[in-house]
Amino acid sequence: MRSAAPPYTRIDVEPGLRKIILFEILFPMVLLIVGIAMGFLQVLFRAGIIRSQSFLGIEYYQGLTLHGAINAVVFTTFFAVAFGHALIRFYLGKPLFLGWSWTSLILMTTGTLMAALPMLTGHASVLYTFYPPLKAHPAFYVGLVLLVIGSWIAFFSWIPLYREWRREFPDTKVPLGVIGIFATFIVWFIATVPVAIEIIALLIPWSFGWTATVNVPLARMLFWFFGHPLVYFWLLPAYVMFYTMLPKLSGGKLYSDFAGRFTFLWLVAFSAPIGIHHQYMEPAISTTWKAVHALFTLLVAIPSLVTAFTLAASMEHGARKNGGAGLFGWWRKLPYLDTDRWMFGYLFAGLVLFIPGGITGIINASYNLDTVVHNTSWMPAHFHQTVAGPVFLAFIGGSLMLLTMLTGREVAFKRINVWIPYIWALGILVFSTGLFRGGVLGEPRRTNLGLSYANPSSPLYRADWEFSRVVGAIGGTIMAIAMLLYFIVFFGTLLKKKTSSPSLEFPVSEPYHDEDVASVQNFRPWLVAAVILLIVAYTMPFVELAKGRYEGAPPYDPGSPVAQVR
Amino acid sequence: MIEKRIITAAVVFVLALAGVIALTVKQLGIGLPTCLTDVRPFLEGKVIDQAPKRYEIHYVARMWRFEPAEISIRPGSTADIYLSTADVTHGMQIVGTNVNLMAVPGAVNYARVTFDKAGDYLVVCNEYCGIQHHNMAARIHVTDKVAAVAAPPPAVLAGGRKILEDQGCTACHSLDGGASIGGTFKGLYGRKRELANGTTVIADDAYIRESIEKPDAKIVKGVDPGMPPLPVPPADITAIIEYLKTLQ
Repeated sequence: MRSAAPPYTRIDVEPGLRKIILFEILFPMVLLIVGIAMGFLQVLFRAGIIRSQSFLGIEYYQGLTLHGAINAVVFTTFFAVAFGHALIRFYLGKPLFLGWSWTSLILMTTGTLMAALPMLTGHASVLYTFYPPLKAHPAFYVGLVLLVIGSWIAFFSWIPLYREWRREFPDTKVPLGVIGIFATFIVWFIATVPVAIEIIALLIPWSFGWTATVNVPLARMLFWFFGHPLVYFWLLPAYVMFYTMLPKLSGGKLYSDFAGRFTFLWLVAFSAPIGIHHQYMEPAISTTWKAVHALFTLLVAIPSLVTAFTLAASMEHGARKNGGAGLFGWWRKLPYLDTDRWMFGYLFAGLVLFIPGGITGIINASYNLDTVVHNTSWMPAHFHQTVAGPVFLAFIGGSLMLLTMLTGREVAFKRINVWIPYIWALGILVFSTGLFRGGVLGEPRRTNLGLSYANPSSPLYRADWEFSRVVGAIGGTIMAIAMLLYFIVFFGTLLKKKTSSPSLEFPVSEPYHDEDVASVQNFRPWLVAAVILLIVAYTMPFVELAKGRYEGAPPYDPGSPVAQVR
Repeated sequence: MIEKRIITAAVVFVLALAGVIALTVKQLGIGLPTCLTDVRPFLEGKVIDQAPKRYEIHYVARMWRFEPAEISIRPGSTADIYLSTADVTHGMQIVGTNVNLMAVPGAVNYARVTFDKAGDYLVVCNEYCGIQHHNMAARIHVTDKVAAVAAPPPAVLAGGRKILEDQGCTACHSLDGGASIGGTFKGLYGRKRELANGTTVIADDAYIRESIEKPDAKIVKGVDPGMPPLPVPPADITAIIEYLKTLQ
């Protein structure tokens, strides 16, 4: 029997690490103001409230690029690294290699600024998926590479600490939070290798004009090899908070320690060999391999179903200890609006959104069912219930939590703060209700509807998409209000007086069932499984692409229908 | 161990779902596009009337229109749709049907669809393809009044007209007076233009030349700026001007 982990207590943080983590929280938070503003403008454009190609000097698709890149790539990557630094320091109890952490921070920040400049000046309006042959300024691609490499360096610097800890405590279970954050970054590494190949080998030489054309089907397959594990990279830090913090915040214990380990490790194995489910509607990939990826995608739903059960059971345990009773009556005894345990709301509201988000995800993955919804507004409805739901709420909650701990300040406007996650969740539910409906009726995503389909004087006007646009705009407005309040609380906290010394102390949930299952104590078998599954899932699709001998495409500026031929 | 039962239940659920999907593919024939390697990309959109109620439609997606832009076919017709792109990645959804295809440079996509109900079907581009993406659409009229309207054969383009097509000008400027993003070319030459800054200008040779080389120099009132400067050789601009004179 492996012994339980040592007790985890409050630790004082080295000033260097404190600065690093605070910068990694504050820098993306400032950018997030832009990202959120752009998101709000999207719903106004789409509803036809702003009926123009641009607003305040920002062109529609430029704003959409900023919204996706900042919110989904920059903010998430910075938070994952900052949270990882803090968790590793807290759970392993060892000082980090700050030289590497600084290197990581400088690379990530430089990369972000390099990519932001062309986006802000309108030279990279290619959306955050940057599908060639639409071409951005080379600095955009180089910046993305630096951001990714910076995040790798942070991850690599944690590995020796993990090994050292395992040598010191050979008979102790690795803390669940450490398993979770390592799973996060293993998935990130698996994901980012193919996209690094896409960018470095195909897009950078092509954007500089060193190569004349790019193989688009190949670039797309490499992108989606990255694109799906990317969403698990987003989701996993939120899962870490759900498993390690939520039960404790509820007043109880984690129902099953095994379920947590199983979930993290299963995602290591299965999050990558499924990328083709984003490419169901494409040529150059045969239906056989689309079907294989569909099956694997359904298998990756298993840990989410397990998580739903485990977390509900954990919250029930907490609620009953708080005095809850009855078959359903215990739901009333959770700290929904507790100003001290405010993080509960950020996690709970996200979980509520994840129910429809997960179900619609299964619909999207279901092979031919995707035909109805592919590239319609159904898709942003779905991923705002997942990425902008549990992930985003956990990340902004986590950012605020790290801010309070590392500055030794209390949360400002506590009574407002506890309502923010619920307002946000309401906004998302309203917004996505509209967009789901529009999607089923064929309304496209990523489209400045106000100039055509939502413009009664355009020949393309569609009255049957009106519900989607109006409800979408109402939901978007509620989301914008929630974020306005959040920024007030976040930056207000910075302005408060220091009341304690900076430290790290996360809520740590004890296990209720502390099972001892050998297969979930070690990454190795799961890493081997991941590699085998990737070989099975991707060898033949790449062979098919090579056999197809698809002709390359020259670069195009998004503003001009004429190829840029040198 | 209850967690193991939960995992088992989850596995059974997803496998059952996979089984249902497999049934819809096998029994109902609802499939996905597959890999076509025997059809090379094409640049000419057309409708081929193969037999009564059997059509083959070749769609070319380009910034920012579909060719053919408008077609009419009879109710109950089955169409084999081939999709190619002339430039970037596009999407093509025929709203109200199961046709939802990506147009990927280098490859040809394919779907078969039967139009049971009469009506006007909107064809939308549903993948971002540049700043005028929201205006990229086409129509399919499913109607009994098809007098062999298998789309007119593409006109043999020459001179200025061909340059306008090749440079992509017609993506935003119609030739027939129809509504378009940048305003129509019909009747443009020699007309008085009211500018956004309140002044007016006559659309003469110098104005047209400047508008091609420096599009933002003079913005017509009510038109969004944003046209890219186009690298058109001077001789070609002369040909364009000569052609515009004929469009009265």
